[in-house]
Amino acid sequence: MRYLKKFIFIFLALSILFLSSCGSEKKKTDGEITVKFWHSFISSSVPALKDLIAKFEEQNPGIKIDAQYIPSGDALIQKLVTAVQSKTAPDISWLHSDYIEALVEADAIYKMEHFINGEDGISQEDLNDIYPALRQFASWKGTLYSLPMEATNLGLMYNKDLFKKAGLDPNHPPKDWQELIEFSKKLTIDKNGDGTSEQVGFFVPIFPAAGPLGSWMVWQFMPFLWQAGGDFVNVEQTSVLYNSDEGVKALELWQQLYRDQNLKNFTNLFENAFVSGNLAMALDGPWNLPRYKDLLKNIDWAFAPLPAGPFKSATVVGGEYLAIFKQSEHPDAAWKFLKWMIQPDIQAFWSIKSGYLPIRHAVLNVPEFQKYLDENPNFKVFVEQMEVGQAQRPIDYGGLEISRHLAEAIENATTGNADVKKSLNESAVKSNKILTSSKK
Amino acid sequence: MLLNKFQIGSAKNSRKGNYRKGDLGSALLFLSPTLVIFSTFILFPVFFSFYLSFQKWNMFSGDATFIGLDNYTRMIQSAEFWQVLKNTAIYSIGTIPINMALSLWVAYLLNKKIAGKKFLRTAFFAPVIISPVAAALIWRWMYDPNFGLVNFFVESLGLDPVNWLNEPTAAMFALIIMSVWKTFGINMVLFSAGLQGIPESYYEAAELDGAGKWAKFWNITIPMLAPTTFFIMIMSMISSFQVFDVVYVLTSGGPLGSTKVLVFYVYEYAFKFFEMGYASAISYFLFALLFLLTMFQIKYLKSKVYSVA
Repeated sequence: MRYLKKFIFIFLALSILFLSSCGSEKKKTDGEITVKFWHSFISSSVPALKDLIAKFEEQNPGIKIDAQYIPSGDALIQKLVTAVQSKTAPDISWLHSDYIEALVEADAIYKMEHFINGEDGISQEDLNDIYPALRQFASWKGTLYSLPMEATNLGLMYNKDLFKKAGLDPNHPPKDWQELIEFSKKLTIDKNGDGTSEQVGFFVPIFPAAGPLGSWMVWQFMPFLWQAGGDFVNVEQTSVLYNSDEGVKALELWQQLYRDQNLKNFTNLFENAFVSGNLAMALDGPWNLPRYKDLLKNIDWAFAPLPAGPFKSATVVGGEYLAIFKQSEHPDAAWKFLKWMIQPDIQAFWSIKSGYLPIRHAVLNVPEFQKYLDENPNFKVFVEQMEVGQAQRPIDYGGLEISRHLAEAIENATTGNADVKKSLNESAVKSNKILTSSKK
Repeated sequence: MLLNKFQIGSAKNSRKGNYRKGDLGSALLFLSPTLVIFSTFILFPVFFSFYLSFQKWNMFSGDATFIGLDNYTRMIQSAEFWQVLKNTAIYSIGTIPINMALSLWVAYLLNKKIAGKKFLRTAFFAPVIISPVAAALIWRWMYDPNFGLVNFFVESLGLDPVNWLNEPTAAMFALIIMSVWKTFGINMVLFSAGLQGIPESYYEAAELDGAGKWAKFWNITIPMLAPTTFFIMIMSMISSFQVFDVVYVLTSGGPLGSTKVLVFYVYEYAFKFFEMGYASAISYFLFALLFLLTMFQIKYLKSKVYSVA
């Protein structure tokens, strides 16, 4: 018995030692507040982030921002969930819209109205100046839980040299679906006729549905769905709409492009293909602009708006959002950073440095931003496209699983060469099951 | 021999009165770091996930709800689950025999007196040490239809290029080739050890009786290696049913879900959709399956294993 007691004591003592060494310690130096900020910026954006934080700290003495990198995607949400459970959450985290559901359910983040209506709040006018798609994305079930830090959308990147070689006008990128099909055909070359194209016109972003790029594929499919006049899910969130006639039209376009160009035998490392001049057109976003300046310096290339569909022009808007955690010891200091971040001149500064798009209209009136737009036509394409930008309405429950079911349908119709309508309907049955079961 | 010594030793110690009073205490003291780590990261999760397999829990909302066997019935009714199980079985049946035959063959060749033996052994063992993620990334490059090394060789042989990662059957095959390359080194080392344990005198005796190369191999080497083979078989089966990292990086379960294996499926439900209960149920199914298969192997194959003294 005596040994057992001794053992239990030692065991506990060691566990405490072990656990406490895992916890983080906050060292405070004379009233200075440190705000822990988690983000997943790709390495090329980190210098811009450093400049941004330096500017904030200079303008707000007494507050230090401790930015920590967490790998994006699955890793970030996993880390956030465990941090909330173990009470080590950051003050602010940068996150994707689909994570808000989980964090709200865990009661981990503040409602924005808590701060907006507080002493140090912001006006409704300022709030309404933010692009509606982003505000919708920053909310869950109509309540604002975060503020956007930056916006992105999807454009069409094309190689002017290859256009010239194929006898196309390099200043006339495809303006609608018809031209996209036509140009793609002209730009696809199979020199030796072995079924593998050495050069491909347009890269349809097909990736394994269950893999890390599955939801990325769905995100890029969204604008085509809207261009055809379709939508993802109905307003009541009782059934999905992507298997409508419009959805079929959009996926048929992808299937045709995939088949015509024999993309099954083409690499899915599209960036490599573009750099080496084996690919003429691809979907891509402004976040790569700083990188492409160097990477693509041997190619004459440009960005263009996405080709318009039979119904309208549209692009998909994405963005990353900042949420404040309830476990934060300094929620007011954290809020100060958020409020500062959405000011027009700061947004202009951040946008120019990072290559991300501003989150609100007012930035367009900042003189240095206007000057920057004139000097950078590729960037201007994205900023102008914000006007036709749409965001996928957030799904309250099971959004990630539904997105995977759509991804399966897209993969079936392209790689699997299955019937479009059948694949979409099969996928819709599974998704609707999730929607109805969550309503119970 | 070693085992006997150990048993004798422990028998001696367990005699009453041979304990000194502080023994247990200090033993536990020295063991406690391991015990803490073992119980936090292995023992606790094992029991907790069993408990979870009867619950519906999404990891962040605090409370789990008891739903009885629902997770298990959902699993049995899911078509995807059976597909995934089938994929795992194909992968295992594809990897284990190739892996074992290749590692035995290489170990056998390297057991002879040849130049550069040490270098070759290291070279064949190297893939085992490489991080699985890095290895899978390299292979993804090599399998690329446009820039890949593999198709370069295929085409220079005058054959049609194969779309390794975009065609369901080819992708499974590509995965098996890579896995064999990655893991056969460790089995080769085990076989080498087994081969070196066979006394030279057996071969000499067989030679005197006029046995040829094949006769010696079949009648001496193979039976003498049986304990090693048995061990390798059980271990390869367990590890091939648990394959995940290379699948995640090389094929991401694609194309069309053709390489989605059981653990990948568990990962998807646990850490993407946060359905911890369902994921735990599948994990326990995997445990039960491996347990039964191993018991089966021990029961029916062990009697065939020729044991030496």
